[in-house]
Amino acid sequence: MILDNIRNFSIIAHVDHGKSTLADRLLEATGTVESRNMKAQLLDMLDLERERGITIKLVPVRMNYRSKDGRDYVLNLIDTPGHVDFTYEVSRSLAACEGAVLVVDAAQGVEAQTVANSYLATDLDLELIPVLNKIDLPAAHPDRVKKEIEEIIGINAQDAVLVSAKTGEGVSDVLERVVRDVPPPSGDADHPLQALIFDSVYDNYRGVICYVRVFNGTLRKGQSVRFMATGRDYEIDEVGVFRPEMEGVDVLGPGEVGYFSAGVKSVKEAHVGDTVTDSSNPAKTPLPGYRKVKPVVFCGFYPVERENINQLREALEKLQINDSAISFEPENSVALGFGFRCGFLGLLHMEISKERLSREFGVDLVATAPNVVYQIVLTDGSVAEAHRPSDFPDPSRIEEVREPYIKLSIFMPDQFVGAVMQLCQEKRGTYVGMDYLTPERVRLTYEMPLAEFILDFHDRLKSCTRGYASLDYDHIGFKAGRLVKVDVLLQEEPVDAFSFICHEEQAYHRGHAVVGRLKELIPRQQFEVPIQAAIGKKVIVRMNVKAVRKDVLAKCYGGDVTRKRKLLEKQKEGKKRMKQIGRVAVPQEAFLAFMDVTKSDDR
Amino acid sequence: MTRRNPFEPREGALSLYVHVPFCASKCPYCAFESTVPRRGEVELWLRLLQKELDWWTNRIGRPLLDTCYIGGGTPTVLDLSVWRELISAIESRFDFKDDAEVTVEANPNSLERPYLAMWREWRVTRVSIGVQSFDDAALAKIGRIHSAEEARFAVKSALDFGFSVNADLMFALPNQTFRDWALNMREAVSLGVRHISLYQLSIEPGSAWAKMSADSLPEGADMYRWAQRYMPSKGFAQYEIANFSLSGHQSRHNINYWREGEYLGAGPGAAGYLAGWRYKNSGSLKEYGRLIDGGRCAAVSGERLTDAALAREASVLALRMAEGIDIAEYESRYGAEARESVCRVLRGFPQDLYEITDKNIRLTAKGMRIANLIWQELV
Repeated sequence: MILDNIRNFSIIAHVDHGKSTLADRLLEATGTVESRNMKAQLLDMLDLERERGITIKLVPVRMNYRSKDGRDYVLNLIDTPGHVDFTYEVSRSLAACEGAVLVVDAAQGVEAQTVANSYLATDLDLELIPVLNKIDLPAAHPDRVKKEIEEIIGINAQDAVLVSAKTGEGVSDVLERVVRDVPPPSGDADHPLQALIFDSVYDNYRGVICYVRVFNGTLRKGQSVRFMATGRDYEIDEVGVFRPEMEGVDVLGPGEVGYFSAGVKSVKEAHVGDTVTDSSNPAKTPLPGYRKVKPVVFCGFYPVERENINQLREALEKLQINDSAISFEPENSVALGFGFRCGFLGLLHMEISKERLSREFGVDLVATAPNVVYQIVLTDGSVAEAHRPSDFPDPSRIEEVREPYIKLSIFMPDQFVGAVMQLCQEKRGTYVGMDYLTPERVRLTYEMPLAEFILDFHDRLKSCTRGYASLDYDHIGFKAGRLVKVDVLLQEEPVDAFSFICHEEQAYHRGHAVVGRLKELIPRQQFEVPIQAAIGKKVIVRMNVKAVRKDVLAKCYGGDVTRKRKLLEKQKEGKKRMKQIGRVAVPQEAFLAFMDVTKSDDR
Repeated sequence: MTRRNPFEPREGALSLYVHVPFCASKCPYCAFESTVPRRGEVELWLRLLQKELDWWTNRIGRPLLDTCYIGGGTPTVLDLSVWRELISAIESRFDFKDDAEVTVEANPNSLERPYLAMWREWRVTRVSIGVQSFDDAALAKIGRIHSAEEARFAVKSALDFGFSVNADLMFALPNQTFRDWALNMREAVSLGVRHISLYQLSIEPGSAWAKMSADSLPEGADMYRWAQRYMPSKGFAQYEIANFSLSGHQSRHNINYWREGEYLGAGPGAAGYLAGWRYKNSGSLKEYGRLIDGGRCAAVSGERLTDAALAREASVLALRMAEGIDIAEYESRYGAEARESVCRVLRGFPQDLYEITDKNIRLTAKGMRIANLIWQELV
């Protein structure tokens, strides 16, 4: 294959700007998929992706294209997810490309992820091709949006391609521009093999399938290759390309995008970002990889029926095979029994995973409210991680508590600036900056604790901007904060399940809310039950559930003993479902209300 | 324990409960089997009742009654002529012990002298009057159709005829104060009743008020506790969770329920207990009639408890009584192990709630206040 005839590119866009629809049109226009075989948004393979209109997994496809001047090209398109949770997937796609098509909705203009993804591409020295989509809409303002692109992203947008992915208008222009503007890959077939694994998936028959971009050397069946991160060698069973179905080929050369299988048993052995080289003629250095993604949002998954714990475990293991960003470990909850504490890249990632578990693996589960991971500097200087309140050591051993922060960019029409600032302030945000993108559109930048962000920030932002805001964020590491663990005590006994972490200033307010709620949910007992919220030994809120003073049956009608007995039995049954904590019977609802649990079928 | 067939001839005295399923108007808190009678329904009920009594006496023989209770509903909504037929229906099928206790329930506004005279002439010994309150405003609020003055008059009339009179009183009514309640108790005592039944207004599922929030009602603990202290000072012992009486005026009919005694229940919605079989008749007059006219038993639900369940039920019932469980009798019926398991449950509660002596296991006055909680563990 002549390198000059290869173009590797991605499409990047803000969510809903029409990226997947455009990708479909490109497949049609190049005859890669005949239109009668087209399903809507072909590259979104998961049912969930199609239903929600979002891309979660990146998907590569190879297209043959004859340009207007009659030359034949191979175009490798690597589709990317649009949501901020999956930024790491975008960066992986981009590392395998030389150019990116930047799709911007001609009516909505530049949004948060337009900027974030453009910056990612620019950082990797990719050529950006601006494309204005949805120009068929009456509300489309191509000239205004071109200006926004130039001002905000800083690339020339005067010759941006005008497209309607819906009608097909302008689609062939996109292909021409890819051929003209995206640089051909460089590389040498005679150099030692260097191929970047940009994704891997698990296949029941072939084991792990690695998606690769070859930079130097060649990859062929029967070859013995080494994964440079692990140093382990494998023999290649099959190499191929995406059309978009996998299709075997003899060899993958420099600049080419494809896949191989090599009897790799688990995705953990095939690190995404690793470099594959030839075992007998290894490259000296690996290609630049990616930083390993770490889960930042955690929540508990519990089976609805307690005996289904193994089914949930198996489902999580299978899900992890395809999505190594998920982490999980067993945990035990007073209210919900055995389950798993799972880590995710963000809220959407969490939600998607929950849905995939129930749809693809048929697991009925309940999920607890999400929380973040804390770093605790102990008095002896060591640093511990706390994934849940019960991981917190005694306050006397804590030197400092650090919590994860994000840098948040919010794009919005200028009339909402006041409301959004108020919201950010309330969420313990620190103002970083504000700039007018156009006279009507503003970008606000804040630093904010992730814990506040995952609580209900999205919903609150949506309601205070009537849905006109978009946002993007970056994790910027941990910062020390005045964070405290609030314990909830029943009859002086701390109950783990009710503890929570919050900022010192919110401790009273939130403690009061929790104690008040529990007071409503815990039935009267034979004795008075004090409910307290405390930080360490300091009690900050106290309420009492009064003792039962009288509980006699009403009139026993005409000797109908059976009816009374059944009533008593029913009451007794209700009590059995309660959890005994010390001498206090606590109903299940109290735990559930506190955990803010949602079931997988509540959508 | 050997179980007899409840439909076979039996020996020994028993109790009879006759249910009159009619009221002049329906109280909004009540879910008991009663309706305002439509044309012909009273006559239908009487005919079916006679037939039901026949159905039983054809099987179990002619019983000797220790107690008889005619309740409802409101038995005084029946005309005198219906009453006469009812009396002869009972007399022609049952024998009475010489000292039999016969109780009739009455509503203050329909308790007229001719009824009292007729009952005196028959063998009625007790009249139980649904006073509920001596406060007109409170009566109106709970949908009662009588006045406080009518209640006073009814009590006095029944006493004049020489009956042992019970007054039903309700506490924890909407907006009722502690003082209101104390005045009610005092008035009942000063009128000369021999027996007082206390009921907390409770909203039964299926009643008109079932959807109302219970939050607007007083808790009533103070009122009940006050009664437990006040009544004994006036000579009224609390012999059961809800009942106080002067010596010798306890309701034997009700005690029979709590002592697992046998009773025949007749009429729509009535419950009975024979030979270890608890049953309940259909509460609908139509369904009741269909069964009776079909020559069948009117029961639509029934159960025979296992020995263990029976022992638990017996402990719950006995603990309604101030005397509680008679250990010797209980052990002879259900065994020492059953007795021990009752004690084990009670020992899980604070010690001031119960008393275990050589002879009895009983709840203290304090224990009675939260009896429901204790029973939940025993049942």
